[in-house]
Amino acid sequence: MSAPAAPPPAPPEDAPHHPPAPVPVTPTHSDLLRVFAGVAMVGIGGGLPAHMRRAALGRAWMTELDFAETYTLAQLTPGPNAVNLAAMIGARLRGWTGALWAVVGVLTPGLIAMLAVTVVTLGLPGGLPAPLQSALRGAACAALAVMLTAALPVLRVVGGLRGGWVLALVTFAGIGLLRLDLLPVLAVVVGAGLILHRPRPEPERP
Amino acid sequence: MTDAGANWLDILLTFTRLGLISFGGANLAEIERVLVGQRHWITPDTLASGFALGQVMPGPNMLAMTHYGFAAGGWAGAAAATLGFYGPTALLSAAAALAWRRLLGWKWLPTIRSALLPFGGGVLLAGVLVLARGSVQNVAGAVIAAAAFALLTRTRVNPALVVIGAAALGALIGL
Repeated sequence: MSAPAAPPPAPPEDAPHHPPAPVPVTPTHSDLLRVFAGVAMVGIGGGLPAHMRRAALGRAWMTELDFAETYTLAQLTPGPNAVNLAAMIGARLRGWTGALWAVVGVLTPGLIAMLAVTVVTLGLPGGLPAPLQSALRGAACAALAVMLTAALPVLRVVGGLRGGWVLALVTFAGIGLLRLDLLPVLAVVVGAGLILHRPRPEPERP
Repeated sequence: MTDAGANWLDILLTFTRLGLISFGGANLAEIERVLVGQRHWITPDTLASGFALGQVMPGPNMLAMTHYGFAAGGWAGAAAATLGFYGPTALLSAAAALAWRRLLGWKWLPTIRSALLPFGGGVLLAGVLVLARGSVQNVAGAVIAAAAFALLTRTRVNPALVVIGAAALGALIGL
């Protein structure tokens, strides 16, 4: 059950003559819990990956390259990206248990706050008072705008991919307009993308 | 609404599936299709307001799932939804991170990324559509959404502040 520890801080093989990089620091489990809970608190309104980057690099837990690689990988796994990124950073630093504590840390402040608000808003007999209901409707309209701004960078990247726009629009039409089941749409769109972007043999080198 | 209507195991499995099939962000369209349309665990109103609440909470903004779980099955439902939505994908991420050295040199990795991104983009757009249906119910709502969008794209103001401001405005005008 013992988890493979984080990759050992071996110096890069190709740079034996350079002065050693600053010694990476390995956080304890309570460090992970505390720092990721802190990241969640300052990350109200989004931008969690940026806060995680600052926390991990500032404490010399990771290098810029480590973080960039981990971030790329986090985009590929299904599920909420910020939580996945926390799990990945925790896993790299302290194995499976590190992942667990990082995830617990990043979720705990929000869970407490969300449960408190939920019990009030959903638990009131006779429903919400009118002003609160109006406030929530206003908030929902702004949240729509937040969602749209979150989609824009993704769409910009998609626009640069071969067939990107067509596949994104097919997905939008299938899931958003026709309300089709997600898995067949996923199979068709991702299948087409895999074929379009399949690795090609590299040109022969002299 | 909070009378622990749905079975916690059912909630756990449903939210596990919802977590595993979101790529690139919240898959709100599928969440709406399953939770509102299929299961009738939440109303379109709960979907929109829960999502909005998630924006002003510390941490990941899909904490709305906990809200939906509570609506579906009380405290046990909230726990099952949270565990189901975040647990398996976090486990998968940790496994991927532990295998990262091998994964990053893999020639299919850019391919998979390029294949998943358009799907993720389409899913995000579908989510915007679903959310718009739930939240923008009149002209005033549309104006608030447009103003919020302009603020968010033209200034560096914190999104949580924009959402809170919109809430205050909504209460003020009796949206």
